[in-house]
Amino acid sequence: MVNAFKWWWGILLAFGMLAAARFFLPLPFVNEVLIFSIYTIGCSFLLGRVGFISFGQPAYLAFGAYGTAFYLFYVGTNPYVGILAGVACGFICASIVGPLFVRLRSDYFALVNLALAVIVFYMMQKVLAEYTKGDNGLWFLTNIASTPVLNLGRSSEFFIFATLVAIAVWGLYKYLDDTIFGACCLATKINEAKLQFLGYSNYKVRLLAFIVANTTTALAGALYAVYLGSVSPEITAAARAADPVVVTILGGVGTLFGPLVGTLAYTALRDVLSKFIGNWELFVGFILVFIMLAGEKGLWGSAAPWLQKLFSRGKAADAMGGERR
Amino acid sequence: MAEQSLVVRGLNVAYGESKVLFDIDFDVAPNQIVCCVGRNGAGKTTLLKSIAGFLKPSSGAATAGGVNLIGHRPYDVARMGVKYVPQDKKVFSDLTVRENLELGSYATKDYNWDRVMEYFPKLKILLDRKAGFLSGGERQMLMIGRATLGNPKVMLIDEPTEGLAPSIVTHLKYVFGELSKSAALVIVEQNLPLVCGIAHKVYAMRDGRIVAELPGGAALTPAACEPYL
Repeated sequence: MVNAFKWWWGILLAFGMLAAARFFLPLPFVNEVLIFSIYTIGCSFLLGRVGFISFGQPAYLAFGAYGTAFYLFYVGTNPYVGILAGVACGFICASIVGPLFVRLRSDYFALVNLALAVIVFYMMQKVLAEYTKGDNGLWFLTNIASTPVLNLGRSSEFFIFATLVAIAVWGLYKYLDDTIFGACCLATKINEAKLQFLGYSNYKVRLLAFIVANTTTALAGALYAVYLGSVSPEITAAARAADPVVVTILGGVGTLFGPLVGTLAYTALRDVLSKFIGNWELFVGFILVFIMLAGEKGLWGSAAPWLQKLFSRGKAADAMGGERR
Repeated sequence: MAEQSLVVRGLNVAYGESKVLFDIDFDVAPNQIVCCVGRNGAGKTTLLKSIAGFLKPSSGAATAGGVNLIGHRPYDVARMGVKYVPQDKKVFSDLTVRENLELGSYATKDYNWDRVMEYFPKLKILLDRKAGFLSGGERQMLMIGRATLGNPKVMLIDEPTEGLAPSIVTHLKYVFGELSKSAALVIVEQNLPLVCGIAHKVYAMRDGRIVAELPGGAALTPAACEPYL
């Protein structure tokens, strides 16, 4: 119970702070951070835990987004069902391509995923244009029905829903990190042959990790679709394929809060810096180079030990104070 | 004749065009410790890797307790109760000792660590340490301890004492004696005093062939093994 509280408080504190930030930061910014961080956590898990770098995350984002969009445009009006449809679509697509992709070495894995993103882009833009409306995209904001308790059509209520979803996602990944599955993922990254000596199939471990990570990415896509009320092929553009990888490295590869911190920094740079400087990506580039040269730990990876030290010093001081009393 | 724990017949292994093992035949009886000695490049590690499923033999057979091992993947061979402990002492460095043992436990459904702690009491105080921070001897303890989970029928141990302090080698000698009460051990080893102290049988290898079979006991001396190194 104490252990459960120990890690839950971190997640609740992080998202509590983000929720508080909602009162002095623009709502679209906070919503963007929430969705983008969910988008990034799958990529962070693949890179940090399994050792797979994927430049095809926009493809899985698109599976989720188009799954939701098709439902809300052609079938129904309930956004919750739409999100479930998007997640199911992402899960099915990841389960289909996963068995083929996870057999590949990490460098080929990165490229084949990028190829998938390009294929999905042209499928949505050209091949399936009759259904996806090509470059114009699907617009369904007015189709989204009002729902009781939390009306996802309203930004402020969508924010509460997205926060709850993000807390659940972080809880899931923290849980996975602490299970044998998490240990297996790390073990397959460290030494895949050694894991087999113990009786584990690397292929199954990687496949499961791939499906979990990309279903989470599809969830982010589904949330984007409901939040924006539209989806266009631009969501899976190859030009944006490196975004989740950049954010993962910026935040700290394989750390629980790295995707959140990285997303905050990246979105802030994009939204704030871009108002003053045209080529804001240049600064992100310099920061990434600096992070790599400084030990590849990322913002959270570098800050976490300091915070831990600070926190444990505070606790030690409390304990000493208690003894004196 | 009692069923052998491990039987290898006519095993031939090649790396591409280059053949490295030639018609290997050997038997390991239950509770027996069999050592393989030979110079570097004699094919000792290749032999263990072939039995463990990491290399596909071009021909031949290997059975453990009557069950065929050839053609199975390494994780299936491990699940059949044939555990391989490689020589490089590389543990899962980012995981703690506890997590390393948990990986072994989950795969075998054997969560009883008493035997591991009995053999290697030092691991008890290292449970929460990252395996990457262990010394060479401690890593070897962890690897052998982890491999004993699930009570394997056969353990294939590659150069377990390489680079270890004499006190740890002495301790490992005791552990191998204890392990042989429940499993058959095949140990590739260059430490001849240790080999002579524990082996029930020694196979000497040279250029991918078994060139001699030496019986254990008083007759087995380092001098008898020396010509094959």
